[in-house]
Amino acid sequence: MGYEWDFGIVLRDFDVLLLGLVNTLKITILALLFGVPLGLGAALLRLSSNPAVRIPVGILIEFFRSTPPIVQLFWFFFALPLLTGIEIDPFRASVLTFSIQSSAFFAEVFRGGIVSIERGQWEAAKAIGMARNQTLRRIILPQAVKRMIPAFLERVIELMKTTTLVATVSYADLLYQANNIAQSTYRPLEVFTIAALMYFAILFPISMTVRRLERHLARTGETTAH
Amino acid sequence: MTEVLRIENLHKSFGANHVLKGIDLVVEKGQAVVLIGASGSGKSTLLRCVNFLETPSDGRVWLDGTLVGHQSNGAMDYRESDLIPIRSHVGMVFQHFNLFPHMTARQNVMEGPRTVLRLSKAECIERGEKYLRKVGLAEKMDAYPSHLSGGQQQRVAIARALAMEPRLMLFDEATSALDPELVGEVLQTMKDLADEGMTMLIVTHELGFAYSVSDKILFLHQGLIHEQGTPDEILVRPSQTRTREFLRGHATFRLPDAEF
Ligand SMILES: Nc1ncnc2c1ncn2[C@@H]1O[C@H](COP(=O)(O)OP(=O)(O)OP(=O)(O)O)[C@@H](O)[C@H]1O
Ligand SMILES: [Mg+2]
Repeated sequence: MGYEWDFGIVLRDFDVLLLGLVNTLKITILALLFGVPLGLGAALLRLSSNPAVRIPVGILIEFFRSTPPIVQLFWFFFALPLLTGIEIDPFRASVLTFSIQSSAFFAEVFRGGIVSIERGQWEAAKAIGMARNQTLRRIILPQAVKRMIPAFLERVIELMKTTTLVATVSYADLLYQANNIAQSTYRPLEVFTIAALMYFAILFPISMTVRRLERHLARTGETTAH
Repeated sequence: MTEVLRIENLHKSFGANHVLKGIDLVVEKGQAVVLIGASGSGKSTLLRCVNFLETPSDGRVWLDGTLVGHQSNGAMDYRESDLIPIRSHVGMVFQHFNLFPHMTARQNVMEGPRTVLRLSKAECIERGEKYLRKVGLAEKMDAYPSHLSGGQQQRVAIARALAMEPRLMLFDEATSALDPELVGEVLQTMKDLADEGMTMLIVTHELGFAYSVSDKILFLHQGLIHEQGTPDEILVRPSQTRTREFLRGHATFRLPDAEF
């Protein structure tokens, strides 16, 4: 095989790839910023004792967990404007989709963490007169969040990888830029190798952190990761 | 004498399981009342109805002479907002301690004064130290529960309840989860409290302790108070066959020779 690698031609456009990476991170971080609190709220509603709250929220969460994210993205990008008459640009559609989509997964991470805390903790707090929301905030969540960290980071990795779908609605993320450069330079091998390395450079440290935390938490018996 | 706790005709069912079938009970200020009975007889359920960790199915509960809850159409209606002040005036100690593992001993004890009573930081710290000292743990204030022995953890749990300065303390088998050599220190702490005049309702299998600490012992059987009286009346000269059978099952407690 006599393929001649030529990274030079590709590296000339490295700033374009970097811009793509920044855009990828922008979507990921915004989706986290909206998705995590939304997920916590959804988890709390799903844990409500009132079935009129618990059941619809549960169905909604499951809906977003069991439909392909690309379908959701297309729906928000193409169908929502038809319904509402409001045009939505690729950036907003992407942030909207991935905030909601990831919140459904974070909801389950939060719920898993919360229900993993023994009933005795709720009871001890209740017995000194603490209200439900005080107990949640001061006793349950601090313990649950610690146990959730590996599962949470796992979802962050998943999320960032899934954001590559935004290229399909022409949002200039890393994959979209790589694709463009590949087409203009006829160097797909080099371009996608570099793009892969860029994703790897961000996600590998997170993945290693998960590994390390899991080992640590397994020792203290505190993980809810699978 | 003033009544701290009055219970009338208390019932509790879990589905079809009718656990408490009409309990009447009065605890006077300064009394230590011990509840004994077989496993599953409803001792824990009774204690948990007193601080409303369980909602009674029927009956009335008075604390300090005040009826808990609202009456509506002859039944009782309990709102969370009414129960929170009740719970903050009734301390509870659990079999498995249930300390908050992410907080030091001092933070555990300060948590109630801080979040429930909303005392100033200085007052919370003062209470934390006062009650940890009281249970003999002045040296362990900054230790996390996982670094304490079972006996020490249970004493922190007692301090945590005491820091609310409760009118009544409930103990649900506070020593059952402890290694035998650690039981003594916790019983001693409880005995000291009783001697200081704390009003206590205690579930325990330690009959020797029950005998020495209590003013009154109740034997719970099939959802009812089957027999009650002074420690001597219940543990030494029980009049009911069931009570005698129950006591005979406790090999570690030898009844003093008595004329049955
Ligand atoms: N939350 C609950 N839901 C359903 N049933 C319950 C619940 N709590 C207690 N019970 C039932 O009520 C009965 C009495 O239980 P309880 O724990 O009060 O007994 P106990 O006298 O404290 O026993 P032990 O000495 O084993 O602690 C048991 O049959 C138990 O299964
Ligand atoms: Mg019990």
